[in-house]
Amino acid sequence: MASSKSKSVTFDNIVKIFRDPQSGQDVTAVGGVSFTIEPGELVTLLGPSGCGKSTILRMLSGFEQPTSGRILIGDNDVTQTPPNKRDTAMVFQSYGLFPHMNVAENVAYGLKLRKMPANEIAEKVQRFLEMVGLGQMGKRPPSRLSGGQQQRVALARSLIVEPSVLLLDEPLSNLDALLREQMRVEIRRLQKSLGITAMYVTHDRVEAMSLSDRIIVMKLGNIIQIGTPSDIYRDPVDTFVAGFVGKVAFFPCEVKSIDSGCHVEVKGQGFTAPRWSDKLKAGDKALVMARPESLSIGEAGAGVEDGVVTANIYLGNSVETWVHTDLGNVLVQIDNPDVKKIWDEGSTVSLSFDPALTKVLVDDLEKA
Amino acid sequence: MKKRIINFLLMMIFIIIVGGWIYTSVRDEFLKQSRAAQRRTVETVAAGYPSGDDEIGEWLKRLAEDANDYRVALVPEIPMPGEKLEVPPRGDAELSKLTEDSASDPEFSKGFDNAAYEEIYRSAKTWTVGTQEEQALFFAPAVDLRTHDIEGALVFSFSTEGEQGFMRMMNTLFAAAFILFAVVIWQMMLSRDPIVGFALAGLFLMTITFVAYPLFEALRLSFMENGKFSLAVWRTILNSEGYMSALWGSLKLGCWTATFSTLVGFLFAFVVSRTNAPCKKLISTMGVLPVISPPFSLTLSIILLFGNNGLITRWLRVIGLDFSIYGLPGLVIVQTMGMFPIAFLTLGGVLQAIDSTYEEASLNLSAGRFKTFSSITLPLAVPGLLSAWLLVFTTSLADFANPLLLAGDLKVLSLESYIEVTGMNRLGHGAALSILLLLPTLTAFLAQRFWVAKRSYVTVTGKPSGRITELTTPTVRRILTGIIFVIVFFLIMLYGTIFAGCFVKNWGIDYTFSLENITEAITRSRDALFDTVTLAAIATPIAGIIAMIAALLIVRRKFHGKKLLEMLLMTPFALPGTLLGISYILAFNHAPIILVGTAAIIVINYVIRELPVGIEGGIASLRQIDPSIEEAATDLGADQAMVFRSIVLPLVRPAFLSSLSYTFVRSMTAVSAVIFLISARWYHITVLIYNFSENLRFGLASVLSTVLIIIVFGAFGIMRLIVRENSNLMKNVT
Ligand SMILES: Nc1ncnc2c1ncn2[C@@H]1O[C@H](COP(=O)(O)OP(=O)(O)OP(=O)(O)O)[C@@H](O)[C@H]1O
Ligand SMILES: [Mg+2]
Repeated sequence: MASSKSKSVTFDNIVKIFRDPQSGQDVTAVGGVSFTIEPGELVTLLGPSGCGKSTILRMLSGFEQPTSGRILIGDNDVTQTPPNKRDTAMVFQSYGLFPHMNVAENVAYGLKLRKMPANEIAEKVQRFLEMVGLGQMGKRPPSRLSGGQQQRVALARSLIVEPSVLLLDEPLSNLDALLREQMRVEIRRLQKSLGITAMYVTHDRVEAMSLSDRIIVMKLGNIIQIGTPSDIYRDPVDTFVAGFVGKVAFFPCEVKSIDSGCHVEVKGQGFTAPRWSDKLKAGDKALVMARPESLSIGEAGAGVEDGVVTANIYLGNSVETWVHTDLGNVLVQIDNPDVKKIWDEGSTVSLSFDPALTKVLVDDLEKA
Repeated sequence: MKKRIINFLLMMIFIIIVGGWIYTSVRDEFLKQSRAAQRRTVETVAAGYPSGDDEIGEWLKRLAEDANDYRVALVPEIPMPGEKLEVPPRGDAELSKLTEDSASDPEFSKGFDNAAYEEIYRSAKTWTVGTQEEQALFFAPAVDLRTHDIEGALVFSFSTEGEQGFMRMMNTLFAAAFILFAVVIWQMMLSRDPIVGFALAGLFLMTITFVAYPLFEALRLSFMENGKFSLAVWRTILNSEGYMSALWGSLKLGCWTATFSTLVGFLFAFVVSRTNAPCKKLISTMGVLPVISPPFSLTLSIILLFGNNGLITRWLRVIGLDFSIYGLPGLVIVQTMGMFPIAFLTLGGVLQAIDSTYEEASLNLSAGRFKTFSSITLPLAVPGLLSAWLLVFTTSLADFANPLLLAGDLKVLSLESYIEVTGMNRLGHGAALSILLLLPTLTAFLAQRFWVAKRSYVTVTGKPSGRITELTTPTVRRILTGIIFVIVFFLIMLYGTIFAGCFVKNWGIDYTFSLENITEAITRSRDALFDTVTLAAIATPIAGIIAMIAALLIVRRKFHGKKLLEMLLMTPFALPGTLLGISYILAFNHAPIILVGTAAIIVINYVIRELPVGIEGGIASLRQIDPSIEEAATDLGADQAMVFRSIVLPLVRPAFLSSLSYTFVRSMTAVSAVIFLISARWYHITVLIYNFSENLRFGLASVLSTVLIIIVFGAFGIMRLIVRENSNLMKNVT
């Protein structure tokens, strides 16, 4: 449900180069990035620390000026617009609550700037405070709220001005695990019900997966892949994305031929994978990517790779078994452990995978 | 974008107007002078016009032969306006030809007309004489010496090359400055923050005009003699025994005061932070009180007690002890009393930061208490001690008020430069002397800042535990506390004396109780008191706001020339007040900025001098505030001015308030710089106190000192109250 007010966001070949004031050296934080966010969509920027996520968000909110390229909100080119004139609202990692104002004054701040009549402000502030579950706390100073409550105040303060775009820079990283999960659901609920376009920055893959319509995976200032959470998980473009968004095992293989499927040979056994990287051609050395849930464990010698079970972690609905092989430590997820065999620690086993769930990727792993 | 371009154009127009005004005033000043000189030449030459045909011929020939910067032609008969000449001109051939050719030109007619009325006229346009272009023409009457009849007119031609050279130089300079400004402002405007751009431009303009320019003028004047570059001033100063003994006197005074102050300060700090002495609250209070006591107050009471007619002097005379308080020893005592708080504050901080677990560890290792003190506490405090010494040294050197009353035969630089300027009217010498004073001051200041202060951070580690390790045996503690109480008693006695001085008929002669002094002082000082409070009250908010804006820009913004701006803003902190005062009267008594005698020059001086402390406070408190608070406000739609008003100012309120009270108090008690800047219209109460003391009207001086003390303490008290009310807020911010 995209409300009429929500707008799309377009980055058109955005480059951001910082000059380090001390050394005078240039640091390319973002190197030529283009993407579009549809109205009402929540897109997550996911990537390792220092890959330029915050920089992208700060360019969208106007706190940083792109070195080149254009930023559009809806059809408006806002590249030159100062932050206070942009229709964006940011939720900061450290909340940025005004310590000299109480909760209600914090939330009312943006409305006061918009010269709304006082009685309307009071009414709307109360409504939004109730929406984030803080209806009784308007009079409190922010310092006497818990971390999660402060986070809600920050969220209400941003949402109340009805921005076209909501920006969230690791908003949950200061919260404990349980609260994080709870707030995640809350944010998604509010964003959906208000139909607001949102951009969310995190380096927590679970957060990204559970929250987003689409995910943008970044590395060193560049976009590696844009896709829905399941795209990114099932169909990563390379080993970096595959590894970053979930546990994975790679089996070296040779590409035999490609037609409607990709036919590969692993340790002399032939498989056909439904997905493969475009760059592959027959005769290439490649990798078969398999997720923990597509792996299974059998008697030594029966599968594609032998190893020794090093640990079994019981999780109730599944068991995670770690197997040490020549390829490294591999995680195997065994669902319904009550009806399946669990191999003892120390036993020698072999791994096999379900080819229908795999993808063949170019072998770009650094050889140790 | 469009709005930004309009802003830029407005700014450019503003600069063109201001620049144009400066340009024209400088140019006019120069042209006026050079033309006045030419006019004088014309006058003198014309006055020598002889009588008799032959003599005139001789005279013209002599003028032509002499190497002059002008040429002369004589028109023997003044023609009617618009008519040709009947008799050809004599004298310089080319000029004569021009005169003959253009005699009917309106300019020439005007010139002749003026000459006929015995006036000198300068042609409004320039002329080509022979091959020389752009010559200025003057017309003067040729008056017969004996008959006083106007016989004809003299035409003079001057080359305008000098003027044109000057104009070319001016044009280049102003064009360069304009382009520089345009570029800088264009860049700042395009940084999407016009308000920030304006604020930065304003700060740069302010510091360049009111810090760099006056200092440059002072330096320039010390290298000038009769309008030309010369080392004469410096040569005189460096060769003069009197001036050198003043330098020596300043250094001697600084060293003694710094040493004693550091000792006393350390004693106070040690007893407060390392022993369980009684009455620590009183000791702490008395250890900081003198730092805010107005100038002259301690000196005044020392004179009342130990001066030639002093209360105690009398008793000592009775027992046959004769001495004079005027001179080095007296000054050292007064300065130590006034400045040991600086050392106490510095060392108190250092000792508190040194974790007493070190000392406990040492005591546990069964080292003795003295051993612990000498091997642990003292070495750790060494950088602090050095720091304190240097700070007091700087302050003592720059001190002006105490020597003014108490120096006696001792010569010190701050006083000498004052005497040069006000007594001898030798501004150049005054400037040079105060620059000379700057050298040791600045050296000590920089040493403290960049060397000692850095080292003290390295040595002080660990968290303050808040516990006190008793480092003294009871006997030692009793002795130390005893010394402290003697000092505290002495201080209380000094303040008490001033108070008593208000109610005594004529101190030193007639000690009967009287309220006359109070009434007389109040009537005589009403205007000065009003001026002083007004000026301080104007300067206070200006300095406070500017300080917070500057701090915000320095902490939160990236911009070119930040280091330069910081330096310019902070410089006045290290400058002796006398230097600042002298350079202000030097810089602002001529075009383009004339401020001497106005209230503005005093207010500006206050603002510039007290800014550094406010800025430092603002920077320290802004560093503690998460920048995302301000960003959140911006993000919600607040522009920079709104963010400053609604977010920054409330958050730095404690720093802002203390900057306000600091500026107010310092402006109320200013003397070293302001004594040069006061005028008949705008007077300062401290100068009045000085005048009363000089005229031995100690009763009046006591009353005014007491008034100042009350105002100062009142201001600090109010500030304390307000800040305490805000302590909740402070906790949230930090
Ligand atoms: N103001 C700045 N000046 C210079 N370099 C900067 C500046 N801001 C960011 N950078 C650099 O740009 C790169 C990207 O920074 P950014 O903050 O966008 O990373 P990030 O993806 O948000 O990382 P994290 O997950 O740790 O928050 C980093 O290398 C960083 O050092
Ligand atoms: Mg970041």
